[in-house]
Amino acid sequence: MLHSHFSRIFKAFALLILMLPGQSWAAPLSYDLKPQLIAEDTYLLQGRLEDFSRGNGGNIVNTAFIVTRDGVVVFDTGPSFRYGKAMRQAIAQVTDQPVLHVFNSHHHPDHFLGNQAFADGTIWALPDTGRLMAEQGGAFSDNMYRLVGDWMRATEMQLPNRPLQVDRLQVGEHRLRFFPMTGHTGADLVMLDETTGVLFAGDMVFYQRALTTPQTPGLAVWLRDLDAIAAIPHRLLVPGHGPAVPDGSAIGQMGDYLRWLDLTLRSAAERGMSMTELMKIPFDARFAEVALRRHEFIRTVAHLYPRYEEAVFQKQ
Amino acid sequence: MRAWSNALLFALALSGVPSEAAEPTAGDPLDSVMWEYNRQIFLADQPYRFDERVLVELPPFAEDPTQVPLTVDASALAGRIERVIAWADLNPIQQIFNWYPAAGSRARLSLRFKVQQATPVRAAVLTQDGVWHVGSGFVDAAGGGCTAPSMANSDPYWESHLGEIAGRRFQAGSASRYRFKVIHPMDTGLVNNIPEFFLQQLELRDGQGSVLSRMELFPPVSENPVFTFDLEGTEGPHRLWLRDNGGNEFERTL
Ligand SMILES: [Zn+2]
Repeated sequence: MLHSHFSRIFKAFALLILMLPGQSWAAPLSYDLKPQLIAEDTYLLQGRLEDFSRGNGGNIVNTAFIVTRDGVVVFDTGPSFRYGKAMRQAIAQVTDQPVLHVFNSHHHPDHFLGNQAFADGTIWALPDTGRLMAEQGGAFSDNMYRLVGDWMRATEMQLPNRPLQVDRLQVGEHRLRFFPMTGHTGADLVMLDETTGVLFAGDMVFYQRALTTPQTPGLAVWLRDLDAIAAIPHRLLVPGHGPAVPDGSAIGQMGDYLRWLDLTLRSAAERGMSMTELMKIPFDARFAEVALRRHEFIRTVAHLYPRYEEAVFQKQ
Repeated sequence: MRAWSNALLFALALSGVPSEAAEPTAGDPLDSVMWEYNRQIFLADQPYRFDERVLVELPPFAEDPTQVPLTVDASALAGRIERVIAWADLNPIQQIFNWYPAAGSRARLSLRFKVQQATPVRAAVLTQDGVWHVGSGFVDAAGGGCTAPSMANSDPYWESHLGEIAGRRFQAGSASRYRFKVIHPMDTGLVNNIPEFFLQQLELRDGQGSVLSRMELFPPVSENPVFTFDLEGTEGPHRLWLRDNGGNEFERTL
């Protein structure tokens, strides 16, 4: 039933598209970025709590910038060249200071494919992040064209030009501090602005949007990193996806979800569940508000369950 | 949705067929243009009907098109099940397996397989009265599972571990559930002149060597496949036996 329903929807959709005049595809695509002042000198461009689509152009990600007296610091550049340009315009609405430093939190495409619009600045990333971008960026970029279409036009991968090997940097009156971590992708940058107390967590923290696991070295690693993040004194936390929070609620939700995932996968493997059975299990009520939880859980089972199965199979 | 564009292409392909209202998809709950073609190959002129009691369980989308989990469950059908055929309509190699379930055991089986694109997946179940009961599922996919090289081709691990079997028995009421993984590249023959090399036969035998359940496997079964079977009765030990198309045989007590 479900499937016949699906196929009918697909057909209806296909028909709708066939009926549209070709010109309607050429409607201007605009990200309409609105910088939100979240702390002194500090602006957030908050993405939607969605998956990549032709409707959102990949704007599902948080980016941010800090206006210092010497120039602007950018944290992540968004999913496309078009986004990067829109971000520069958004910055120009707020200040006429030049962009001095750009930081890429990690190598996922929604966080760095806007780099092209910042090629005149210093683009920093952890050395492993630069390596991973060079290895996987092409495939990520192809995938983004497939998922969001014309929004990506003219986007080409711009690699970081400065490996981040320092743990502090002073820009104007802002003292920045860097924490290299690994839980989300193997190379994940967390940045603290000690001057304002804003902690830019990148995708080490998702809030109200289910976390993604395709490159995680393991949930236990991520949980250890999360403890380290919780120990960094801060006044406001900016997650990679979801709203900024002044309290521990984002870290708390992440920790609960990671522990629930780890326990759920382990006990499923120990009980001998198949993947299709596991993908259907009910969610813990604590996560009822988390967007895309079923979608990301299905992905996570595909990514991680084989490791849990293997551990059980090897234990005689 | 991931792979939305492919679902769309699939839908477009369906809608674009001129003779859509006529014979080819008649009665198919998924309206696939491949239905009639595959029915002739796998069921020929034998009687069949679409039957929602045959469950084809799949995720809505293939996160990894080389490892798509599939469960076929025909246990809601009454009486002895003679045979189960599973195939993916739009794969270059359509058939996934042929299965002869153990008498008296729950006719439920899980494994992982490869998809080349978004596709309907079918399980046709032959009951004692000679009627095929067809269950359907659909998996969306970005594609490439059958023409992507197996991981094995970049990693010689399998060469020294070919046919190694790791697994466990799980007690589920009066039944035993077996889950096991077999190291094998399961090459389809569709990639870079790498010849097809795949597990072709699988048997579950009782302590006396009698075959309880057997399968014929096809190259769309995933690399290093993981199987899940339920066998009624706990009298063991059961043995697993496999043979690939290179004549290699692998055997283990479960
Ligand atoms: Zn990420």
